[in-house]
Amino acid sequence: MTMSTNGLLKKLRVSKPSGKVRHQHPFSTFAVTTWLVIFAILSLIPMIWLVLAPSKTDKELSYRSPYAFGSFKGYWNAWKHLRYFDNGVIGTWLVNSIWYTAAIVIIATVTASLAGFVISASNVKFKKTFLISTLIMMLVPPVALVIPLFVEMDKVHLVDNPWSVILISSLYPFGAFLAYIYYTTSIPAELYESARLDGCNDFKLFSKIALPLSTPLISLLAFFAFIGNWANYFMPYVMLPSSQHYTLPLGLGFLFLSTPAINPGVGATSVPIYKPEIALAGALIAVPIMIMFLISQKRLIRGMLAGSIKE
Amino acid sequence: MAKTKHYRHNNGAMYLMLTPYVLLLFFFGLLPAILGLLEIPKPSMANANGGWDAFKIVVHDFRFAPAFKHVLGFMAIFVPLMIFFVIGMALMLDIKHSPWKKWLRMAYIVPASISGAVAVLVWYVILQPTLSPIKGALKFFHLTESTQIWQQKNLVYILAIMAFFAVAGNWILIQYGSLQSISQEILEAARVDGCSVFQMAVRIKIPLISKYIIYMSVLVFAGGLQIFVEPQLLNGGIYSGIADAWSFDQLSYNLAFMQGDFGGASALSILLLIPSLLGALLVIFKTDMFEGAQGHIKKKNIEVQGF
Repeated sequence: MTMSTNGLLKKLRVSKPSGKVRHQHPFSTFAVTTWLVIFAILSLIPMIWLVLAPSKTDKELSYRSPYAFGSFKGYWNAWKHLRYFDNGVIGTWLVNSIWYTAAIVIIATVTASLAGFVISASNVKFKKTFLISTLIMMLVPPVALVIPLFVEMDKVHLVDNPWSVILISSLYPFGAFLAYIYYTTSIPAELYESARLDGCNDFKLFSKIALPLSTPLISLLAFFAFIGNWANYFMPYVMLPSSQHYTLPLGLGFLFLSTPAINPGVGATSVPIYKPEIALAGALIAVPIMIMFLISQKRLIRGMLAGSIKE
Repeated sequence: MAKTKHYRHNNGAMYLMLTPYVLLLFFFGLLPAILGLLEIPKPSMANANGGWDAFKIVVHDFRFAPAFKHVLGFMAIFVPLMIFFVIGMALMLDIKHSPWKKWLRMAYIVPASISGAVAVLVWYVILQPTLSPIKGALKFFHLTESTQIWQQKNLVYILAIMAFFAVAGNWILIQYGSLQSISQEILEAARVDGCSVFQMAVRIKIPLISKYIIYMSVLVFAGGLQIFVEPQLLNGGIYSGIADAWSFDQLSYNLAFMQGDFGGASALSILLLIPSLLGALLVIFKTDMFEGAQGHIKKKNIEVQGF
């Protein structure tokens, strides 16, 4: 044990040393493992239902097991039925979701990485003010300002224009902070200095030195921007009242309201939108995020803990 | 921090590269807060004479007290549940490292993809005794009719469970990650000194990750306070009237878009912003979570997790 470890243990008031290494009781190990597995199964149930539901018909959903698979044709039928709704507006919602999210991911990633680079590699003024305001914005939920943002967008006539959502959501303080931490710690100042001596100007310093070394950062920024915006509901709900501008999550909410699928208040309609169709729309929103989460598990942890700087 | 002070070169290009982000920060961070404040004293139907009475009027609105009660009840379940459960799960995952545990971690992250509108759909089905994938469990608790479950008085619990499942998995992984940052040397020393698994968790691991716990608590609290989508969709799309103006954000939305009272809605937004801001300031200034950002640490001594 080193001196510092001793000091730390003393500080943490660890019980008196007994000199024996204690082993966990086999029963408690078993109980812990069982609980961990049970929670994993519970975690999977909602997604399993969501993915399997569109393979069945509405009737089958009531009498067959929730875990039974219907048929692949079921997915196709559910999609065909969704296309009947409002002249295939589901396609528009899907395209809207893709392009709004893509635009946000690109603008947010570019602006945040540039900001992080500048703050770490230059001596611009008001650095501290900039960092503190970025941290505050990062910790305050974006929906806190929805009403004032609506007032602002109304003044510049951007309500019901997709750019209102794209621009607002492109403010990415968390990304700027991650970029700052990344550039501060991954690229030594000496590298910038020697590049400057070799005649690099500041733009080249970013494009030729920082950017080629930024692959992990860019993928991290794009990941968080994607998961934060693909399923976003509140901001588009307030800013985009026309159904032509809806995203998939807004469209799903609209389907709840206007079809009898899960809303007993709506009478029978000629459009065959029932639970399998609604579940398919839900799966179109949830599955891309799930895939991103599963392939980017480590990015999630790295990103969320990157603020932590330890000596 | 990269020190470039001895280069007396023009920073114009640097400012140019910083501008897009600063513009976004100004227009969508600072300006709306100012506009919100300016909107409050304007005369409206509710506040005919205008002025800062808007705050008093919104607090005395007949829907404010019920919304306060709902959100308080929801937070009283959601926040402690999140903190204790997440930390407990992360500690359990951390007890012994086995390669198969990565599959558990993958499973925990799956519910995070089910949020907002999709969560409403999925939980509608889960809590529908005829359709539910957990029919057996509902039957065990004698819940055979959806009307037994979908009642106004149960909403705090239902919404707390929905919110919990949407965020718990992510935080379990993040806190598990924070536990990985504890030096093996310290843990080994404690083990040799005879610490039990429980003592190790309570006396060593939790104190060492306390800043991450505060960070999580602030984000979970601030997020929970702004609950909107789930009650709004339940109210409008499934069970009409079950959650009308149930949360603060719904009340704020109704004030603005049903009554045209943007002053009252802005006043409520600003009131809600205060606890979130205080939480943010607590994390920034009272923990060392972001101390590197404040320039307290010399570059050569810092190490950032993850990168």
